[in-house]
Amino acid sequence: MSGIKASAASLPVFSTGRVYAAIKPILWLTLGLAVIEATVVLFEIRPYYLPRPSAIAANIVATPGAYISGLWRTVLETALGFVAGSVFGVAIAIVFHRWTLLRELFFPLFVVSQTIPVIAFGAVVVLWFGNTLFAKAVISFYISFLPVTVNTLLGFNSVDPRQVQLMRSFGAKDGQILRRIYLPAALPQLFVALKLASSLALVGAIVGEWFGDTTGLGVLLLQAMYNENVVGIWATIVVSACLGMGLYSLVALAERRIVFWGNEQ
Amino acid sequence: MSSTAKLEPQEPIGAYAAERPLIELRNVSKTFGSVKALSDLEVAIQPGELVTVVGPSGCGKSTLFNILAGLEEPDPGNILRLKGKSSSASDLLGKVSFMPQRDLLLPWRNVIDNAILALEVEGMSRTEARKQAREMLPEFGLAGFEAQYPNQLSGGMRQRVALMRTFLFKRDLMLLDEPFGALDALTRTMMQRWLLDVWQKHKRTVLFITHDVDEAIFLGDRVLVMTARPGKVKLEQVVDLPRPRKADIVTSSEFIALKKTLLEAIEEESMKSFQVSGH
Repeated sequence: MSGIKASAASLPVFSTGRVYAAIKPILWLTLGLAVIEATVVLFEIRPYYLPRPSAIAANIVATPGAYISGLWRTVLETALGFVAGSVFGVAIAIVFHRWTLLRELFFPLFVVSQTIPVIAFGAVVVLWFGNTLFAKAVISFYISFLPVTVNTLLGFNSVDPRQVQLMRSFGAKDGQILRRIYLPAALPQLFVALKLASSLALVGAIVGEWFGDTTGLGVLLLQAMYNENVVGIWATIVVSACLGMGLYSLVALAERRIVFWGNEQ
Repeated sequence: MSSTAKLEPQEPIGAYAAERPLIELRNVSKTFGSVKALSDLEVAIQPGELVTVVGPSGCGKSTLFNILAGLEEPDPGNILRLKGKSSSASDLLGKVSFMPQRDLLLPWRNVIDNAILALEVEGMSRTEARKQAREMLPEFGLAGFEAQYPNQLSGGMRQRVALMRTFLFKRDLMLLDEPFGALDALTRTMMQRWLLDVWQKHKRTVLFITHDVDEAIFLGDRVLVMTARPGKVKLEQVVDLPRPRKADIVTSSEFIALKKTLLEAIEEESMKSFQVSGH
């Protein structure tokens, strides 16, 4: 009896809280879209400038195949570039941290390399690697690795030297200190960079597709633009935005799981 | 792993007599640029002894510890013998269990995994190391806390985890650098009593730095008073209070007499260090 009573009493309180938290973003998104829809209709904004959200949604629903295959292609390019960029970024940070001479020699070069706009390189990359998925991944890689390197180095510098001395007093070798102290200590900083790199890698992939490809979100954007298919442009923007947010959330989720201790040192 | 390029041959096993000091330092000096931190320091510690070191701040206590932990090399011309075998400071890396002032627990490791850090470095499997650590938990007052993370622990508990890490790294000499310095007075006396219990059970040789004279007498077989910089041993006071020591020993007349002697020696040095820094 009391069990039923307790659950009857607590159920509404708990469930509204949970359910609200879950649907809150959807609720606000729906509200926002409704406002835009109403604005477009009310002020008679021409579709050339801003199509109605419902028209965009209808476009995606009408031809989902093109968007799904484009999305998949771009996801592959981004993921490949992002993973390669992150691994390379961390590896370079380790090299630069251990051999300061290399750091002094090559770090400025790395920074300069990043000041060259990636678009300037796009054509060359496609010439070198052909019109392949790999070529796009290379562009993604190119613009995503440096933030990872910089932040990993920053994380390494945050290590308490007394911590390293303690490890040395245990007779630890360099590799053990790297794995047990430096790498975990750099994780909070590293994840800041990974979140940034996930967005950059997506930009790289989309821009890379502009240099010639047959599928991908970048291709869809270009085609829609040439055909003055405004609804198509907006639909691709929406799909790209969802992809960007999805990638970011994945990295943020991993961060919450892995860096549970926060920035406490 | 130490090469046998040392001047002295390896001691045959068993020749190591009880009267021979576990570790012996002679003529040990250490200069940092123009600052002389240690000057002709002489220390010898017998196996199983608990020696406490007190001295005015900046007297080179920490430098002494870093040398003994193998982290810093003393100036040339020193004699440093571990079990009668002459060594350089870096030979001591991995030979001494060292506990620095701060607990230095890793925030991403739970209590057990922090405690086994040194064992892991030695190459012991995690399963075996965790098993050993788990057996020690109750003794360190950490039973039931093995899965907690450092930010969930109180200062006293964190310190006990750090001590457990030091105890698990089974070495002949343990160096404790003001391990209770950051704790409140009540927790500190509890920890001192507890440390004596654990020490008597495990029979380790301990060198314990503190700036608390009560603590130095309460814990030590001998108290070394260091001079102001450059540091050397000013006074070596044997504490012949019976063991096991009860908490109320601090009010006994013997204790007070020892404290008086030590305080006078420290006072003299503190005045000196003030005058030195004053002009």
